[in-house]
Amino acid sequence: MKNVTDSFVSLGHWPSAGSFGVNTDILATNPINLSVVLGVLIFFGKGVLSDLLDNRKERILNTIRNSEELREGAIERLEKARARLRKVEMEADQFRVNGYSEIEREKLNLINSTYKILEQLENYKNETIYFEQQRAINQVRQRVLQQALRGALGTLNSSLNNELHLRTISANIGLFGVMKEIID
Amino acid sequence: MNGISCSINALNGLYNISGVEVGQHFYWQIGGFQVHAQVLITSWVVIAILLGSAVIAVRNPQTIPTAGQNFFEYVLEFIRDVSKTQIGEEYGPWVPFIGTMFLFIFVSNWSGALLPWKIIQLPHGELAAPTNDINTTVALALLTSVAYFYAGLSKKGLGYFSKYIQPTPILLPINILEDFTKPLSLSFRLFGNILADELVVVVLVSLVPSVVPIPVMFLGLFTSGIQALIFATLAAAYIGESMEGHH
Repeated sequence: MKNVTDSFVSLGHWPSAGSFGVNTDILATNPINLSVVLGVLIFFGKGVLSDLLDNRKERILNTIRNSEELREGAIERLEKARARLRKVEMEADQFRVNGYSEIEREKLNLINSTYKILEQLENYKNETIYFEQQRAINQVRQRVLQQALRGALGTLNSSLNNELHLRTISANIGLFGVMKEIID
Repeated sequence: MNGISCSINALNGLYNISGVEVGQHFYWQIGGFQVHAQVLITSWVVIAILLGSAVIAVRNPQTIPTAGQNFFEYVLEFIRDVSKTQIGEEYGPWVPFIGTMFLFIFVSNWSGALLPWKIIQLPHGELAAPTNDINTTVALALLTSVAYFYAGLSKKGLGYFSKYIQPTPILLPINILEDFTKPLSLSFRLFGNILADELVVVVLVSLVPSVVPIPVMFLGLFTSGIQALIFATLAAAYIGESMEGHH
């Protein structure tokens, strides 16, 4: 026994038993237990792990989908805003163009009406002048006629006697008889 | 010669009865150092798993992620969340570090518990989780130490050392001691948990090989996962603590 322990101690310093190889002792290498442990581990671990990983994948997919949707929404809103901007710009341009033509038209209308009014006033003026002219002429005519009649009356009164009067009346009767013959 | 051969036979018999080898390592000679080769081999396997799965998963990135890409993005979000909670606003540059810590420890713990390492027989020692070796965990803890020192110094310059006399200068010895206990506790916590779980499972398997070890194996998976999370969270917390502003 002492030999055994002696050599055990000395061999423990530099053991020289064995070589490379495959250990086929089932009881020592423990494959049954190992396979049972591995089997249980894989069986339960697979369920848990695939749950975790699927959750993670779902989360990633959802995040990506959400951000895509937000992006789409943002692009849509941008497009709508741009369309509105274009429409408003066009309307503004139209207003501007229309506004200018309106102004032109108003100006022309104003000018025309002013011309018309001026014309009317001109007409009134001319008529009034003509009327006044006519009145003046009539007045002058009347006065001249009065003067002529007064002169004639004076002449007649100065140079009228019975003989002249009889000769004038018989001439006029003779004129009336000729006129009646012409009419018949 | 006879004594040695019969003791070797007896020893083989001993090995057959209790195949628990604790503390025996498979040594490689690199330069002047003896390296624990079994830890290196299992670490390489863990690194290959991590790099390979990462490269495959991000090969064709889509906006709607496929299953592998979804899983890795989920892990990245989790690590980012841990860093953000612990470090605060400037958590960006530290996510790769915390992520590497967490993923390396997590995958190495779970690979030690789930992969059938015992099928491959080494000349000495056996393959198991790389974090069941104190060297690995101390290396990780020292890296964390360097990381939080670097964080504090790069953020505050030499004013970082003013934190040793806050809130009162009486606590100076305790603050200095903290710089030693932080990596110590990190390394031992991880090492103890992983090695102990491994030992319990091996002992139970050697006693009752078939059904009884299974609950303990589940417990081992659970605690080793938690240990990875704790290591990463504490590393982030130390980094955040050394980067935060004045109290």
